[in-house]
Amino acid sequence: MIYEGDFLRDAISKLIAEGYVVFAPVKFKDFHIFREIKSAEEADFDYLLPRNSAKIAVFPENEVLMRYSSWIEEIPIEEKKIAIVGIRACDAKAIKLLDRHFLEGFVDPYYRSRREKLLTIAIACEEAGVNCFCQSFGINPRKPEADVVVLKIGEKLFLKGNSDAGSSFLSKFNLKEESDEESKIRQKFEEEKLEMRKIEVDVEKLKKSFDSSYWKEVAINCKSCGICTYLCPTCFCFDIYDEGESRGVRIRAWDSCQFPLHTLESSSHNPRAEKWQRLRNRFYDKFYYNLRKGDFYCVGCGRCIDFCPAGIDIVDVISGVR
Amino acid sequence: MREVERIREALRNSNAEKIVAFVKKENEPREVLAVLSQEEIDRVTFSPLSVNNPAKLLMQLNGKIAVVAKGCDAMAIRQLIKEGKLKRENLFIVGISCKGVANYRKLSKIEKLSKIKEVYLEGDELVLKLENGEKRIPFIEVMEENCLYCRNPTPVIYDVLIGEPRNGITDFRDIEEMEKMSREERWNYWISQFERCIRCHACRSVCPLCYCEECMVDPSNLAISPMSTAEEKASYPRLLGKTVNAKDNAIYHIIRVLHHAGRCSGCGECERACPMELPLRKLERKLEKVVREIFGYDLNEDVPFFSKLDIVGD
Repeated sequence: MIYEGDFLRDAISKLIAEGYVVFAPVKFKDFHIFREIKSAEEADFDYLLPRNSAKIAVFPENEVLMRYSSWIEEIPIEEKKIAIVGIRACDAKAIKLLDRHFLEGFVDPYYRSRREKLLTIAIACEEAGVNCFCQSFGINPRKPEADVVVLKIGEKLFLKGNSDAGSSFLSKFNLKEESDEESKIRQKFEEEKLEMRKIEVDVEKLKKSFDSSYWKEVAINCKSCGICTYLCPTCFCFDIYDEGESRGVRIRAWDSCQFPLHTLESSSHNPRAEKWQRLRNRFYDKFYYNLRKGDFYCVGCGRCIDFCPAGIDIVDVISGVR
Repeated sequence: MREVERIREALRNSNAEKIVAFVKKENEPREVLAVLSQEEIDRVTFSPLSVNNPAKLLMQLNGKIAVVAKGCDAMAIRQLIKEGKLKRENLFIVGISCKGVANYRKLSKIEKLSKIKEVYLEGDELVLKLENGEKRIPFIEVMEENCLYCRNPTPVIYDVLIGEPRNGITDFRDIEEMEKMSREERWNYWISQFERCIRCHACRSVCPLCYCEECMVDPSNLAISPMSTAEEKASYPRLLGKTVNAKDNAIYHIIRVLHHAGRCSGCGECERACPMELPLRKLERKLEKVVREIFGYDLNEDVPFFSKLDIVGD
């Protein structure tokens, strides 16, 4: 289908009118951040990848679970209508991975309340970033797994509904059918491979490396900060704790396996007291531990490479495992 | 002799067991810190993309270490020596009289990083060697903003100095500009900055002076022992929660910066690491100005600031 006009902004206006909470990229200085917006004017779509991932829409940094004082006030879990506009294929795949974690087996009611009516509108990538490697995981950056996909090819704007929700949303717009020639152009664009980095994961080698001095070498310059995990679209660790003594809130907040307190046990034992153990855990989590859920927990967005203050590079680390 | 050759020669002559220096990262033009042996000295590089401060890395190592240090790095190393965290006699400092470093994120907007093979300074121009050909840009366009206000481009301590001594900037013109804002403008400015913070704590983690094992932003684990009762564990002092919002973030940053009174070496690692680009150095510089104006303390003094404060009284 073809749309004449500024689809992304028109879509945001419609979503807001329909009562959706909309997350979209907002420009700061010369970079973009996914955040909740109140009007279509706030969004800016001249970007490759926002700094943070779109996971904040379904898994916010903080979430109040209850309030307490001399009484306990349960916060009812309300079904929310949330939309992410401008998500890329990597982040869209990451949400599918978060689904497995939060919805299979034990169902996390807070996650479910945001996820159930989530509408994702993705933009197909025109080109890859320096540290993109999503194709290594079978992700096609031009065929995002989202409800609606927007493809900008030349001057034309192609739209595709990938799900019932996506198609029914698109039915609210004046769309033109694609001509045969236009379909061919779109298909060619979709099948074109982008030039990007590759990662080759040897799980057996990784498993055997657990006691290798390799991890100490890799970690020597690691700062144990939370950038890699907080920017990662598939990292899902959180902590639940109470803020306030006689009155306060119980919140759940993001946590990072890179922080020493993440694994500190109340006996004072810490199974991952050293930073190299924590760093190793991140790579095991991405490429081994979570395989039981059926997939690698990395989508190749490259944020952890771009923003690691020590220059630790997940592709190089995995290919160098010994 | 090229600058990098002189650095390598100085490192070889140091006879140190370990070398802390920059090496080029694969696939990208940026340089990262590495711990090398004498045999690996040929891997050492240096360019305006040798941005990081090695001081924090030094604290993890034992034995005789040779380190490549720019002006601000040397300030941090000297501060850590003042505070007893490093020993001068264990260090061989190859000081670099620094012309400023490039802002990698700005550079990535100018040229696709994977196309850049080498970066070097020629006069006031930054030369990017590309796959085919080269590109020249005025260095000032991509220089780290923090370097515009550098106090000590030439290392304050060194064993070998590479390059001619350079004068630093001692005024606070950027801070004075901010002080002209009304209280309300300033509040709105800072809140609009702090609200982006995701509390990844990278500013703390990369800061060479944030070396405390127990940080005020974490629930203190000092109290935990196998003997601690559940009640004790439940009542750990927790000065700051994990709630991420503009005002809590402001408290986090302001308290963190206050702990750097008279200590910040000005390397700008906090700003560089911040994925949300908070102007954290402005807080540090404001504090430096206060310490200078109200307490008459200069960072170049040999005595730590805190030891000069008469906090106990008579």
